Amino acid sequence: MNESQIFDGQPVLAFRSEHDRRSFLRSAALVGVGAGFAGFYLSDPSPSSWSAFGGAMAKPSPKQDLEILNYALTLEYLEAEFYKQGVAGGVLKGRELDLVTPIRDHEQAHVEALTATINDLGGKPVASPKFTFPSGTFTNRDKFLATAGTFEELGVKAYHGQVPRIDSVDILAAAASIAGVESRHAAVIADLTGGEPFPAPIEANLPMAAVLKAAMPFIK
Amino acid sequence: MKITRKNFVRGDVAAVPPSVALGALNNRFGWAQAADFDSDVDVLNYALTLEYLEAEFYRQGNSAGLLSGKEMQYLDAVQADEDSHVATIAATVKQLGGQPVAAPAVDFGDSFASRESYLTTSHVFENLGVQAYLGAAGFISDKAVLQAAAGIFGVEARHAAVVGNLLGLEAEGGVYMGATETPLDMAQVLKAVTPFLAGAGAMGEGAAVTL
Repeated sequence: MNESQIFDGQPVLAFRSEHDRRSFLRSAALVGVGAGFAGFYLSDPSPSSWSAFGGAMAKPSPKQDLEILNYALTLEYLEAEFYKQGVAGGVLKGRELDLVTPIRDHEQAHVEALTATINDLGGKPVASPKFTFPSGTFTNRDKFLATAGTFEELGVKAYHGQVPRIDSVDILAAAASIAGVESRHAAVIADLTGGEPFPAPIEANLPMAAVLKAAMPFIK
Repeated sequence: MKITRKNFVRGDVAAVPPSVALGALNNRFGWAQAADFDSDVDVLNYALTLEYLEAEFYRQGNSAGLLSGKEMQYLDAVQADEDSHVATIAATVKQLGGQPVAAPAVDFGDSFASRESYLTTSHVFENLGVQAYLGAAGFISDKAVLQAAAGIFGVEARHAAVVGNLLGLEAEGGVYMGATETPLDMAQVLKAVTPFLAGAGAMGEGAAVTL
């Protein structure tokens, strides 16, 4: 399975580096984000670029909302399966286990909520892909938490990346209410791993294709 | 009736149907009231007021010498984030042709009496910030602003979780606030911050909100 076979994959983003983007966000006004970075955002349909880039930038629509929800569902499937195996694997203890067990429950709740929402909107929830995790992921505490951190930071950026593409305010609110929880997870995991819980004053975002590319190694 | 962002932004809240989608998320949505915001500038000035509060809170708190080691590093980073939010949001208000509100006069009472009282109040502010951003998000019409505001919202969620963990709170209900974040409308948020404002008129002339 490749990217384009899932969710009509979008062209891959080509901003120079994550660091450039964060530095920019540190000093820019919020409205500068879309316009000023249009050159690095060839695939990112921020409002100022719809007309400029034409067909590649689909305007928000109910159909696109369903695609976004199925995209989110796929990422939540990945996280839910990951934490299910991780918590069951017994590699965490004490406070760490206390902090990670609710994450497992949240991801499962997100899967169920997104599935129900897609059904309610008359869409068809995608089936869960089969996942594969590198050897040792669930038997080595450091490896497990490092992967958890990768997934959480990816999830946060994935949700933010879709914000300008969502048509329905209801879905926007629902997605945001999930995204904030992923941010909490990301910060807690970073704390446990000695990483950076607050990597930037404004969280970055990624378009669908870049997120899927990062997720592909875990999809069979 | 089809709900569009446009009529929602105009404050046509009565048009929002009881959504099965939101029901599925078991969310208790506290949308800001229709009359709360007329424009993106209004929403941003509301956010700016809260960011001023937070920035001043951490400036005072981090000067009080209550923390050390990792805790101090974390709270220094939080302060830097809030300072950045103030600067960024004020610049955005200007860029949109608006006038950034003045900082409110604040009184944090006994918040800096101890490490625990400092972190406990911080935890309150951060969770409140999360809920305020979520409650107001539907009123932002410019999508670039909305996306950036979502990025700030997430950072407040990070702060809330980490501070909750520093306090050793229960994971669920202390570090995390459930599987989804819960929004608050402006009246609820203002009620919660009122104890930290230095009396009537504290919001200053031209403030986004008055008491």
